Amino acid sequence: MPETSCPVAATIAQLDDILQSSRLTKPKSRRIAEELHELLEDIAWGRAGEDHMPAIEALIQELSGDQSDPNSDQVAKAVQSAIKDHREVFFSHIDTHNCETGACIKLAPAPCQMACPAGIDIPTYVTLIGHGRDGEAIDIIRRDNPFPWVCGLVCTRPCEFMCVRGRIDAPVSIKFLKAFTAERAFSTHQYRNPEKQPDNGHKVCVVGAGPAGLTAAYYLALKGYRVRVIEALPMAGGMMMVGIPRYRLPREVIDREVALIEDLGVEFIFNTRFGKDVTFKQLKEEGFEAFFIAIGAHKSFKLGIPGEKDFPQVIDAIAFLRAVALGERHIPGKRVIIIGGGNVAIDAARTCLKMGCDDVTIAYRRTRKEMPADEEEVEQAEEEGVKFSFLTIPVEVVGENGHVTALKCNRAEMVTQTDTARRVPVPVLGGEFFMEADAIIPSIGQVVDHEALKALPDLKWTRRGTINVEMANMTTSMEGVFAAGDAVLGPATVIEAIGGGKKAADAIDRYLSGIPQPKMPPVPVRRARTPWLEVPASTKMILKRPEMPLLGIDRRRTTFQQVELGYSENMAREEARRCLRCDICRRCGECVRVCRDEMKIDALQLGYLDFDHPVKTDFRLTEERCITCGACAKNCPNEAMQIEDRENERVLSLCGTILNRQKLVFCEKCHAVLGPAKYLDYIRKMTGGIAQMSGGHALCEKCARQKIAAFDTLTPPGSG
Amino acid sequence: MPFRRGQHVEIYRKSEDESWEEYMDQYIGCHGIITDPDTAKNDPTALIEVSLNEKGTHRFPQDCLRVIES
Repeated sequence: MPETSCPVAATIAQLDDILQSSRLTKPKSRRIAEELHELLEDIAWGRAGEDHMPAIEALIQELSGDQSDPNSDQVAKAVQSAIKDHREVFFSHIDTHNCETGACIKLAPAPCQMACPAGIDIPTYVTLIGHGRDGEAIDIIRRDNPFPWVCGLVCTRPCEFMCVRGRIDAPVSIKFLKAFTAERAFSTHQYRNPEKQPDNGHKVCVVGAGPAGLTAAYYLALKGYRVRVIEALPMAGGMMMVGIPRYRLPREVIDREVALIEDLGVEFIFNTRFGKDVTFKQLKEEGFEAFFIAIGAHKSFKLGIPGEKDFPQVIDAIAFLRAVALGERHIPGKRVIIIGGGNVAIDAARTCLKMGCDDVTIAYRRTRKEMPADEEEVEQAEEEGVKFSFLTIPVEVVGENGHVTALKCNRAEMVTQTDTARRVPVPVLGGEFFMEADAIIPSIGQVVDHEALKALPDLKWTRRGTINVEMANMTTSMEGVFAAGDAVLGPATVIEAIGGGKKAADAIDRYLSGIPQPKMPPVPVRRARTPWLEVPASTKMILKRPEMPLLGIDRRRTTFQQVELGYSENMAREEARRCLRCDICRRCGECVRVCRDEMKIDALQLGYLDFDHPVKTDFRLTEERCITCGACAKNCPNEAMQIEDRENERVLSLCGTILNRQKLVFCEKCHAVLGPAKYLDYIRKMTGGIAQMSGGHALCEKCARQKIAAFDTLTPPGSG
Repeated sequence: MPFRRGQHVEIYRKSEDESWEEYMDQYIGCHGIITDPDTAKNDPTALIEVSLNEKGTHRFPQDCLRVIES
């Protein structure tokens, strides 16, 4: 078998066994073995650089010389021997990022997991939800993301875009399943922190209590670091708390998940600005050895038009949403114009309506088609009463006596630029008009506030005004300083910030342990191999993605109550059954090829196997043609396709989807299994002459031979 | 042309943008789906999020992307 012949994979497996057993009992030797394991994983996943082999060899020496553990020398020798015997294979993995045997990609994660910036093992937790095991589902999610509930409500769900089920009908509702299971796990007291490692004495400072900072704090605390989080705001959550309105993400949800991070011993210092209230130097003197910068992008772009700075009723969207999140309940004005077409503009507009503004209009310079905001968000805003003024370019904020009275605008038309083929809005000559308003809320994007990081003069910045990092390990230009989140990406998503925070925690751990940084982004880790849910083909096809129940329109328009009400238990458990378990079936198409080209049966209509050009899939059609010969299962490299005899039936299944079940025929004489009738017909057709010799009786080969033989072949001559 | 969420794209060349890192060379030729375009202002220089088939989710400069028929 090629899968077992890769020395890298074999050494990792060997170390896995050692770590899971009690062969290494002393903390020091276990730590060295874990670090060895981590570096070997880097090699297996093509993430290693030139420093990896020297570091591994140094660790082997350290382990070998560890007198405290009687088995450490033996373990060191085992790893050393594997490397000595297959040195060139280890180096080839590092140089080419390829494993000739394919063994190192055998556990390649599912597309949904690969797509998740935090690398959550989605097929496993979705299956656990299907089994009703919500506590375990949450444990799996939190191995990669400490905010399952938050993400269940606000994630932009790249996983669902890559969901293979989406090539059949609609993607599995991964986000809402996560929200369901988080809520259920909290309500049943199954949502808990994992065991943290003992205090290792190292101190790490996290600047910013947003999703990136909190995630790094969580994973560092679990590894035994002493973590202090410095936050300028009076509460934790960052943009999750002050940028996302409460009707999408209730504060209690953030508070509950942050409290669990605090329970791990993370220290929070609020209302404290880095570089102003506390300096880099002070923190270093206090013993902090590594710094993680996750200050977000809270500063708004300016419109750059006359009147913008002259009236207090012109308030940027981020400042407005922050004020509301912190308790502001007075309307900015009766008639409000929001300038911009992104998600933040929609959030600001819906917030204005909920606060009681009479008239809320979004002015956008392009057309609806070009609006960058999510379509669902735009639809919900329209339902609630937000108006839109497209092809509208703001020209001047107009007012009198210190109050805004109108926004002077110019009509635009879309013109295609000849050099780039990009369509841009161009003002129409004589197209000036006034939109009456009491308040203007510009929402045209955010940038990182450089002022906040003046204390780090050696920090390099990109031309986009973000912190320059190596994306594989989040290291900055300053030693011991790491960064992630919006401060690195510009305004991005919560799940990307979480993924960045997790990567940074790993990088900080490596930095403080003296082991090299990876050269490639991490490959997500498969956390378990949970047995699949068995579902008949017809059910698998019929089950539809449930609609999310929403709050009534009047309450949506007038309150900040959560708009999405959540799935019921039945909805969630049924939805989990739609998952195709792509962590097991890797869609190589070998089953389809064998059935169609070798067996000439063509019973598998699995059009979803193709990423770019999926065609029709219908699991139900298999039973029409399938003879349950088992050739597909025999050739499946991952045991995703299975054939088995269960009592009186032969059952063919693909990752738990029952594609075919046929009654078995038994030998009339000895009752041995002959196979289903369709299969026997096929065999008879292929071996016509021989089959006819049984005289139309259902007999196994042995009994058929006995029947046609002139004498009893089982009894030696003369014995009777 | 601004990229839209859900569009199938190809990384068809190396970007000239400073944000292109060496490890990204392996993604040239990969197909993926736009999962988070610039949702603020259709900025052609913004980094946008793409989920690549079997290769993870990353932010790319827009000059290395082209839309493919799905």
